[in-house]
Amino acid sequence: MLNYSNAIKAEKSYSGLQLREIKPIMKLIVRGKKREFLSAVGKSLNLLLPTEANTSTKSDKLTALWLSPDEWMIFSNEVSDLDSNDYHSESLLNKNICKTNLGAVTDVTDQFVLINLKGDKIYELFENGSPFNFNDFRKKKGSVTQTILAKIDVIIQNESQNDVNLFVRRSFSQHLFSWMNDSASRL
Amino acid sequence: MFLIHCPYCGEREQSEFKAGGEAHIVRPKQPTELSDDQWAEYLFMRKNIKGVQFERWVHTHGCRKWFNMVRDTSNDEIKAIYKMGEKPPTKY
Repeated sequence: MLNYSNAIKAEKSYSGLQLREIKPIMKLIVRGKKREFLSAVGKSLNLLLPTEANTSTKSDKLTALWLSPDEWMIFSNEVSDLDSNDYHSESLLNKNICKTNLGAVTDVTDQFVLINLKGDKIYELFENGSPFNFNDFRKKKGSVTQTILAKIDVIIQNESQNDVNLFVRRSFSQHLFSWMNDSASRL
Repeated sequence: MFLIHCPYCGEREQSEFKAGGEAHIVRPKQPTELSDDQWAEYLFMRKNIKGVQFERWVHTHGCRKWFNMVRDTSNDEIKAIYKMGEKPPTKY
């Protein structure tokens, strides 16, 4: 994790909604099409990449989100070391995926900000700014979607009931967080 | 507002997509042998039909994949959606 000044300064709490940034979290984008790529990632990380659309898979240490038929995001379940930018998972993937030309691995740790939302009003907040139909999403644990929230591209994962992870690009995070606070204060 | 069925992600709202113009335009095999008029015809001229049209669309704010759509431009009715590389449907 690089020594950035935080885009999101503090945790915010409203009735039925808590917002906070979780950091530092390792985030990687992996891309590949071949079947060997899927098995190589599985063997390297002990984590099967989800092949069904809009779903995620989870191991003890990592979670993989389906982004498109040949693109996944992998992130760490626990916060990582603040003083280092080296990740064991990334070096394993570099060795087994990149060097064997099976696919591509990109470190997006500092590109994306992870905002965690808790509470029973999460979807009321999303409905204020997103065209996505969250009816099925909220019922199914592990669902993933890429959509628009307040005109900003976001990746949303249903971690468990009333617990949602939201990934947004760092340059948009401050604006999105202020929109979420503004919107949450009116729920 | 209308809904588009992305062949990868499922049903999503139109604002997540962008239109990419007419589909199935074949790039000339020997561009250097074409006259300026023929090249301009390939590069710029589009049919813009009122009625059923074959189009390319991209799910910009979702999976970022391109796909093809058969759409009636007069009433926005989507007749068929198929992936890139697949043959266009003859019946719709």
